[in-house]
Amino acid sequence: MSTVSNIAAIARREATVRVRTRSFIVGTLLLVLGTVAIAMVPVVVQYVEGHVNQKVLVYVSAPGLKADPVPTLQTLLNARPATGDGSSAGVTDPFSVTAVTDLAAARASVVDGQANSVLAVERAPGGDLAFTLYTNDSAGGSSSQLIQQAATAIAVADRLDRLGVAPADQATLFSPPAYAIAWPDPARTEPTQGSAELGSSYLLGFGMTILIFMMIILYGNWVAMSVVEEKSSRVMEVILNAATPFQLLAGKVLGVGTAALVQYLFILAAGAVALLLQGRVADLVLGQDGGVALPEGLTVPLLILFCVYGVLGFLLYAVLYAAAGSLVSRQEDISSAVMPMTLVTMAGYFVAVYSSTGLLDIRSGWIEVLSLIPFFSPFIMLGRVMAGGAAVWEVLASIAILVLSIGAALWLAARVYAAGVLLYGQRPGWRAVWRIVRAHG
Amino acid sequence: MGLRVDGLRKQFGEVRALDGVTFAVERGEVFGFLGANGAGKTTTMRIVLGLLQADEGSSSWEDRPNYTWPRRTWGYLPEERGLYARMPVVDQLVFFASLYGIPRSRARREALAWLARFRIPEYADRRADSLSKGNQQKVQFIATILHDPDVLLMDEPFSGLDPVNVALLKAAFLEMRDRGKTLVFSTHQLDMAEELCDSVAIIDRGRLVTAGTTREVKRSTGHQVVRLATSGDGDLGWLRALPSVTVTRPGRDFTELHVDDGSDPQRILRAALEHGDEVFRFEVVDPSLEEVFVERVGALDTEERTLAASEAMA
Repeated sequence: MSTVSNIAAIARREATVRVRTRSFIVGTLLLVLGTVAIAMVPVVVQYVEGHVNQKVLVYVSAPGLKADPVPTLQTLLNARPATGDGSSAGVTDPFSVTAVTDLAAARASVVDGQANSVLAVERAPGGDLAFTLYTNDSAGGSSSQLIQQAATAIAVADRLDRLGVAPADQATLFSPPAYAIAWPDPARTEPTQGSAELGSSYLLGFGMTILIFMMIILYGNWVAMSVVEEKSSRVMEVILNAATPFQLLAGKVLGVGTAALVQYLFILAAGAVALLLQGRVADLVLGQDGGVALPEGLTVPLLILFCVYGVLGFLLYAVLYAAAGSLVSRQEDISSAVMPMTLVTMAGYFVAVYSSTGLLDIRSGWIEVLSLIPFFSPFIMLGRVMAGGAAVWEVLASIAILVLSIGAALWLAARVYAAGVLLYGQRPGWRAVWRIVRAHG
Repeated sequence: MGLRVDGLRKQFGEVRALDGVTFAVERGEVFGFLGANGAGKTTTMRIVLGLLQADEGSSSWEDRPNYTWPRRTWGYLPEERGLYARMPVVDQLVFFASLYGIPRSRARREALAWLARFRIPEYADRRADSLSKGNQQKVQFIATILHDPDVLLMDEPFSGLDPVNVALLKAAFLEMRDRGKTLVFSTHQLDMAEELCDSVAIIDRGRLVTAGTTREVKRSTGHQVVRLATSGDGDLGWLRALPSVTVTRPGRDFTELHVDDGSDPQRILRAALEHGDEVFRFEVVDPSLEEVFVERVGALDTEERTLAASEAMA
């Protein structure tokens, strides 16, 4: 029979049998639930942010203090960075500030948990303002820091006041100066990333790297398990009479790939639906326009690149997983046989994660080199593209190298596979595998 | 013509698995391949099928090397059951046949017909691992023949079958032969080989001991067997005195003797009558395959001498 129809028949069997297994169905369900949960995270975060209310009590005993510190604190603590898109509109203020006259009672109410903290404002002997924050929160926590900043502003205003500076002049004194951030490299002209932008592209890169890593490890293991299953049940001998080792190998990788794609389509569909419905859910939960948006930086070309690297990376690793599987006869031996692939994927994964989170400099030379090497490029090149540091020719070159190396891996794996599938008993060592490859070459 | 296996040699590491195996199977014959475990039967079959490469020697079918024939020429039933444990029976039969290019609908129809014939139609949609060993073996046989191969190579097809299933499988064998197929099977069960085979080969530790038509092989011992029962049983002195005669089994109901070739067995009947005994039974037969085997190889040893460990080191 022709090679193509045999590969198709083998792939078809592999895919249909696999999608009917309980582990596939349960696994898909769990992944879909996980995806929906992750897609809903922004809603949850907004909900939590919008509903946590810090009650701050203020006790003032400072003669000569001109401005009432309560409205000042209220404004300073609830001030938000200007986002310009109005996304914070309608969200309730995180801090509510109330004046009290009895310090002891106020401290007791913090102990009871009715309020979060008491800020005492007093006049120190030197004439300066002195602040004491009574709270159970940690001193380094964000609330304490915000209150300290506000206190400093009140104290500075008080000092200026005592020096005789008019309040109108104070407004100019406090207005922010011009302040810009620029690239150190004069050749770089693209706009620098704001912190929000950086955060979402970091999340995106992280998510895509995890998805590709999962795809390779999980589905690669499926391939190896399926090879060993055929070997240990001796079906291998029956099929080898009908199909060549190359057809078996290619059919198996494509069949598992198809099942994997089915699972991924479910996950992507669930993710897309969840993201589309996010606004509605946010409206329901938050009671108004929650202003939740798609992750920034998710563009169509990026999605296509993600799919290309995902599919090619899977193919490269899957043929090697199949070859490794063909060398063992029992399911228990799979993990040690696929160890080399596992280590290489882990290395690529960690470099990608560390460089996309900024722990490693994604612009350094060795990462640029790694991003062209086939075993690492599926992980690393995406991160470089997202950081805006990869030239088009680099992306195309890494894809071309990846495709060529899949061909080479197929050649090698088919030889190992041809000899390996009829070996029963102890796993052959590396030298024996090399002999096999040469003998069949 | 037919299947020719010529001078096969195969070494696995230190172990010489095959050492010059040569035999011929005529087209349309049933051929028995006899030997203990580890004698080299499986290795020979794998080489004939092209699953393994011989170090030396060749095999051909109808005067052309085996590998030049399409895969569907061959049907292979491996020694250990080779079925997908968790796949429905009929689905995997269709899958195997489709690899040989048989249309799925035809494969399905024929698979169901064979299952009915083997009296297991109700198992068509069951998982293979829910079937008994004997029923799995019948499914395996269907997998071997569903693509209508010209040559069937079957490794221990009768092992683990109960008498009813043995009878069903034997009938299927004979039907295949009548359809003009060439059947090669290995077995320990020498009576089975004697009953079914036109030709046999005996192999021991990778060496061919003897091969030929079943009759030739039986006569290769150089003697015939005579079974004799007379009124004078117990007094065998006169028998032992005859030239070219060996008493192999003195018994109460009959005595068995070997008469060397070239010596007329009828001589014994005459001698018995001359001795004055009444003769109740006088029978001249060829030695059984079992006798040939015991004589040429020694008692059939059932101990596993599997090559697996040495194959792994190769």
